[in-house]
Amino acid sequence: MTPIRDPSAPCAGTAICADVVASAGIRVTMDQFPDLRQRPGPGLGAALPASVLRHADEQTVAGLAAVLHAIHDFQMDVTDFRDWGIVAGPCFLGRATLAVALQRLAAEGAWGISPHFIPHRSQHAVAGTISQVLKIVGPNLGAGGGPGSVVQALLAGAALLQDNRLPGVWIVATEWEPEAIPDANGGIPPEAVCHAVALAVVAARPSWTGIRLRVLARGTRMAPGQSVQTVSQLQGLLTPVVGDYALPHKVVWTLEGGGWMEFGRGEGGTNGTRPERVHRAEARVRFDVQQSGAGTENKR
Amino acid sequence: MKPRTAVWITGVGAMTPLGDDYEEIADNLLAGRSGVRSVSGFDVSQHPSQIAAQIGKIRCVPGWDPAEFYSLFRLEQLTLWCCYEALRDAGWWERREELRVGLVLGLGAEWLTLWDSDAHRGGTSVFGSQADAEPLASSTQRKLRLNGPALSVAAACASGNYALAQARRWLELGWVDVCLAGACDAGVTALGLAGFGNLRALSRRNDQPEAASRPFDRGRDGFVLGEGGAIFVLEAAETARRRSAHVYAEVAGCGASSDAHNMVIPSPDPEPATAAMRQALADAGVAPAEIDYINAHATSTPVGDIAETRVLEAVLGPAVWKVPVSSTKSMTGHCLTAAAAVEALACLIAMQRGALPPTINLEDADPDCALCHVANEARPRPVRVAVSNSFGFGGSNTCLVLKAVSG
Repeated sequence: MTPIRDPSAPCAGTAICADVVASAGIRVTMDQFPDLRQRPGPGLGAALPASVLRHADEQTVAGLAAVLHAIHDFQMDVTDFRDWGIVAGPCFLGRATLAVALQRLAAEGAWGISPHFIPHRSQHAVAGTISQVLKIVGPNLGAGGGPGSVVQALLAGAALLQDNRLPGVWIVATEWEPEAIPDANGGIPPEAVCHAVALAVVAARPSWTGIRLRVLARGTRMAPGQSVQTVSQLQGLLTPVVGDYALPHKVVWTLEGGGWMEFGRGEGGTNGTRPERVHRAEARVRFDVQQSGAGTENKR
Repeated sequence: MKPRTAVWITGVGAMTPLGDDYEEIADNLLAGRSGVRSVSGFDVSQHPSQIAAQIGKIRCVPGWDPAEFYSLFRLEQLTLWCCYEALRDAGWWERREELRVGLVLGLGAEWLTLWDSDAHRGGTSVFGSQADAEPLASSTQRKLRLNGPALSVAAACASGNYALAQARRWLELGWVDVCLAGACDAGVTALGLAGFGNLRALSRRNDQPEAASRPFDRGRDGFVLGEGGAIFVLEAAETARRRSAHVYAEVAGCGASSDAHNMVIPSPDPEPATAAMRQALADAGVAPAEIDYINAHATSTPVGDIAETRVLEAVLGPAVWKVPVSSTKSMTGHCLTAAAAVEALACLIAMQRGALPPTINLEDADPDCALCHVANEARPRPVRVAVSNSFGFGGSNTCLVLKAVSG
């Protein structure tokens, strides 16, 4: 039987190019969450109704905080994103709450389970909550769920953006590092830190010199060991891409079947733009925010 | 704008409360049979809702050691079976390693389900390291020897439509030669039943299981938990035509929006969901009057069914009195993450069999849900264009348009 396709031949896959017009990364420890839940970030204007985050998972709170800081740091406005989409890839969302819920189910029966458990601990919850806060009426969805959710979110977000109906897409990834293995009471180990990264991506423009996300389906296979698997690895990878003009691209993930996903810089020339690295410290929450000097181009 | 590459469905693998193969599901769906029963498998005596539409024993993938297969969690068994069956049905199973076969799985709460299942077996994996755990999309890809990207997406009950939309885009982009897409859910567990029950989302008509899921009926009192899965093989029309494949339908239009209102309660403003339907219809190039059948999301909740009626009125305009609408959740229950995929399957069945599946238990139609109902009995009708709405927690609204393929 004739093969459908020669596996060694290059595939005629199309590339997706997306300009990262704003980004932020944050790290939050468990003791910082009560404050962050009250005040997840700047720029919200009227106080966020307490009900929005009261039952939200910590990863949801951290993801929202990363988005709000990206908006703030790139001088955007929280009302700018009505028609955008959002993809969020939390990792092991709701694990500690489930650990408690299973014990309550065994001890107290059905009535021991909170009605908020399913809506706020299912994989859609981070994207759903952020869409509610930013009043996003474009698509919202979760991606991944376990190890590697960060690349699943990037892949899903890039494909979602490719649909020309959307002016932009938020890609959010969150994860406890080291792994937050709950104790018998659902407690999170004190050394665990919740990492969150938020990227605002729009379709690539010729003039762009900032960070660019590309997904290429090609026959070429990349050597193993070049893939990002965690949110902190993505943050670590973005820093040199932003800071080093000589570094053209960094592979994030190899695409099974041929191709890869990468971060690099736009090819719009370097005049007039200068990358900068911003460190913020605010209200006991540590922020490491990487940004490109061209980020405000997207302000509407 | 570059015209879209036509993407066709050429294979189906499914297991639902109405059966575990296409023909059986079709027969039961068109016969108006309910898959809802009293829950079996765990004690429900303390649960407010004690009924569900459950699936039976999942078929073992041929070539697998049954002992090994049945040691897997049910969600994984279900996913593997549906993927295998879809590839086999499409004629790709034996040749899958020659292609880039992508996989987009709708999984609403993969890890919660797996840890819950593990605890049900006496395990404690939620308290152990999961650093080396393999996501279901990846393990399915590896175990079935699929050579393409794999992704899981989650939008609660709308997940399946997002999976189909992503898969279609991957094919358009040339990332894959063939793509498996759909959704599975094995959510009828004590935890699931308690969680939705305490939300007061579930029917408590425990003494009449088969009459409990009654979308659009004045006597509805909540949805009935269901489970199952449906996975489809999608491929470019050109590929399918070249190999003279059997074609179920074209994935002609996808639309998605968010309510930005509440994580659970549908928006009282029909505009966001209306936008999703209009996007999908525009994407497919279909006018409201051209729709032959709408499979409504209608879960049988008092608020949700009325909200969707307002959306259908807004989108269809005067055609609202002519376009037949039914909710197959009246028979399958609400299969949660798998709902959109199972209902896409119901649309394919309507197209293939030339008959519209009914909303059963529709004895006293709610005047606030005045639509062109297919009530209680299947209705013969050629279906060229079928539309499936799926909405979900998190404010997700999605719409899928399927078109019959000529010749």
